[in-house]
Amino acid sequence: MKKNVYEPRYRYHAGTVAWILHRLSGLALILYLAMHIWVIHHLNRPLDFNNIMAFLNEPVFKILELGLWGVIVYHALNGLRIIMIDFFTRKGAAVQKQMFWGAVVLGVVVFAAGAIPFVGTMIK
Amino acid sequence: MNTKLVTGDSGVKRWFYQRLTGIFLAVLLIVHFAVMHFTGTGETNYQIVEARLASPLWKTFDLAFLAFALYHGMAGLWVVIDDYVHRDGWRLLIYSAAVLAAVLFFTLGAVTIITFRPHIVWFPPKV
Ligand code: HEM
Repeated sequence: MKKNVYEPRYRYHAGTVAWILHRLSGLALILYLAMHIWVIHHLNRPLDFNNIMAFLNEPVFKILELGLWGVIVYHALNGLRIIMIDFFTRKGAAVQKQMFWGAVVLGVVVFAAGAIPFVGTMIK
Repeated sequence: MNTKLVTGDSGVKRWFYQRLTGIFLAVLLIVHFAVMHFTGTGETNYQIVEARLASPLWKTFDLAFLAFALYHGMAGLWVVIDDYVHRDGWRLLIYSAAVLAAVLFFTLGAVTIITFRPHIVWFPPKV
């Protein structure tokens, strides 16, 4: 007798991973945006603002910033991939996996392009 | 599962504008990073921001950036809430809280930008 086996609808293909990471990165960016607006609003008090900026110069925040850069690069490039899937209706979905790996490769390059000079000024 | 959305619309406009703002954000972010981190010393302090924000052009840029980012984030949050929260009451509550937070953060950001430094310099020299 055949058992009634549960088959998950989603398996962990490139597209699934892309989607989960996109959701997590989007939510992380909302959180960052809120903190960003909060920090920048201190511009109305120049001394406070400069103190906060000096505080955020600590290595911990520099490392977090590097992570933020990675999150942004991923979300931006994968977001553009999603937009291409949605609007290039003839071909977009058919090549979504290739576009995912394309985004990953491009992402590594863009990430490095930003991270290398950043780490350079950090070390100095 | 309760399929009736609190707002009662299909969300197609939100879907479209989320993509549109996504494209704008990609462009604005490139400018933002280029100006903030890849030109000049790469550091940020009051004096540097002050010189830039003296220009109404930069204020306009920042306001547009703020509005697009918050709209895009909210449209995204909407989808996430739709995916995980299925009861009308809870949806209404969480949507409302999210909209309220977005309005507050938009106000905080917009006030910061608009009320900053009234001495107008259209094309500020680089610091
Ligand atoms: C850099 C430019 C960006 C592009 C091209 C972009 C693109 C996209 C696209 C196309 C979606 C729709 C995903 C879907 O429906 O499956 C999306 C979702 C989302 N985005 Fe962005 N985005 C960008 C920046 C941002 C920023 C700055 C934030 C933070 C405020 C953000 C927050 C979100 C959130 C929360 C979602 C919802 C995630 C989900 O539905 O799973 N995005 N983005």
